[in-house]
Amino acid sequence: MTLLTGFWPADPARLLSVLEKLAPERPDIFLTPDATGLPATCVAGLWPEAELRLQPGDGAERLKGFCFGGSAPGPLSEAPRAHIPGPALGFLSYHAGFSGLGLPIPPGPPGAFPLGVFRKYRVVLMQDRLNNRVRVLARDPSALAEAVSLLNHAAASPPMAAAAPTFPGPLDASLDATAYRQAVQQAREAILDGHVYQLNLSIRFETGWPDGLDPAQVFWGLGQRHPAHFYALYYDSPYVIVSTSPERFVRVRGDEVLSQPIKGTRRAGSDALAAAAALKASPKEDRELSMIVDLIRNDIGARCVHGSVAVEGHKSIFLVDGLLQMYSNVQGRLRPGATCLDLLWDALPPGSVTGCPKKRAAEIIGRLEPHQRDVYCGCMALVWDENTMDSSVAIRTAVLDEERKRLAFFAGSGIVVDSDPFLEYQETLAKAEKFFTLINRHPAEAGEP
Amino acid sequence: MRLLLVDNDDSFTRNLEHLLACVTGTAPEIVSYARFRPERAAGVDCVVVSPGPGHPKEYPAYGPLLESGMPVLGVCLGMQVMHQHFGGQVSRLPGCVHGAASRIELWGRSVLVARYHSLYVSHVADGFDVLASCGGVPMACAHRRLPLLGLQFHPESFLTQCGAEFLHDALDRLLAR
Repeated sequence: MTLLTGFWPADPARLLSVLEKLAPERPDIFLTPDATGLPATCVAGLWPEAELRLQPGDGAERLKGFCFGGSAPGPLSEAPRAHIPGPALGFLSYHAGFSGLGLPIPPGPPGAFPLGVFRKYRVVLMQDRLNNRVRVLARDPSALAEAVSLLNHAAASPPMAAAAPTFPGPLDASLDATAYRQAVQQAREAILDGHVYQLNLSIRFETGWPDGLDPAQVFWGLGQRHPAHFYALYYDSPYVIVSTSPERFVRVRGDEVLSQPIKGTRRAGSDALAAAAALKASPKEDRELSMIVDLIRNDIGARCVHGSVAVEGHKSIFLVDGLLQMYSNVQGRLRPGATCLDLLWDALPPGSVTGCPKKRAAEIIGRLEPHQRDVYCGCMALVWDENTMDSSVAIRTAVLDEERKRLAFFAGSGIVVDSDPFLEYQETLAKAEKFFTLINRHPAEAGEP
Repeated sequence: MRLLLVDNDDSFTRNLEHLLACVTGTAPEIVSYARFRPERAAGVDCVVVSPGPGHPKEYPAYGPLLESGMPVLGVCLGMQVMHQHFGGQVSRLPGCVHGAASRIELWGRSVLVARYHSLYVSHVADGFDVLASCGGVPMACAHRRLPLLGLQFHPESFLTQCGAEFLHDALDRLLAR
């Protein structure tokens, strides 16, 4: 079975403004906003037709069955028995990778955040960059006609009113400054004892969500003010994921595998070039990135051709959220017989936000962090076929619980032996800055010294 | 050549697998420490003990293997396990070295090699010769009587120069005995 393809004339800017107005339809969206002169790119799924909800014990096979066909997944409304063509959009929570590490998945309360969700859609919209048009992939002629009429209607309707919401209630933090400092000390002890070389420690912040605010407004607002490569908006009632990640986890194109782990952060400040030079010259940040590069080599190596894994552009730097970030390109060739999802599954959870060695790091994180990471430090993934996929590390990510009317967001940093607890705390707050700005709060409320 | 790579729940094991496959032309079999029994080594030419977290005291199952006469190459924790077993001492390394390269001289090469260790062999076990060291920290050791060779550095790291050559030479020496 194939998809129908229709076209709708629109440049990237028009598509985004129309997608913004489609908020009532709650499309799942993967977006790279317009930045540094490159036009935005976007894939949006409209009207989910099938959904896979990962359960503890599920592995890559179930995910592959859903994305590539072969076995029919659980129904969304009515069970589609045949394979549904088209891309799958979804996410995998931090804990989804635990079975692969041989670790138990901590039991959550009923209604706890899901382990992973993937969807296929009646209609998928994507920018066709070369031709200034939108590609409309549809399951059937009526879906195509419905989608085009919806796009026309949205294009003609006025833009959403700008919101200036007030986020109610106190700002809570899972670790205040003192508790965070203690956790860093414990992490350092674990490092000195040889249990880990690096451990990613995070804080969960939470506050109230104002009545009447549409999460899509927050998503589009953040995308405009703080562009980053891997924006994603994903609805999984009662949760809405607003991910503003700058970090690629794994991309597969044909047999080419690419991961781009980030380690090393500096405020760009008034002299970004000087700050970049200082970042590159820092032995601490150098070691931090090198550890994770070796870890990612290992993680993609599980499904790459022997000898094909290589590091390119080690210690490259880019600017996002006012921060300079150092990263490397870790590349490999997908092993014959393996799919992109085998590779993704075996590489979970993302190494740059767990630590090294990964299993012991995950165990220690479980003891040091009083919160669940949920989708934070998991990944958002867009899967086209066995050899085509892109995914981001779900950092700089917020989760709205529409039932409880609570907004949670997370931030963290890699702790190494010479980490200064104060500086790591500052780095963590800096990474959450756009969310503090959004809710118009100062992190001091959550226990900054 | 048949190689058995024992994985101590490490995150560099696949890197070691890739390098071993490239150097020997055959992918090693991999078994986790939890499933490793000395009899698993029957019929293989050499056992490679991977790096891993924690103190070598946590890994007592290697004892019989180390005394069996089977060629064993230990990397990082793998080398420390050898010394721990034969009465040496493994202690905290002041300052730790993680994700950094140091220069060593070994087998005619003077190159930078990657180090990831919080602990080090502070007292070399009886029967071992130190082949290379760095600031007094043993970086490579070999047993005088048994086919046991340990590397404290990580030949599988992208930071190590000549990693494949070191692995080749290590296997060559172990299997020549």
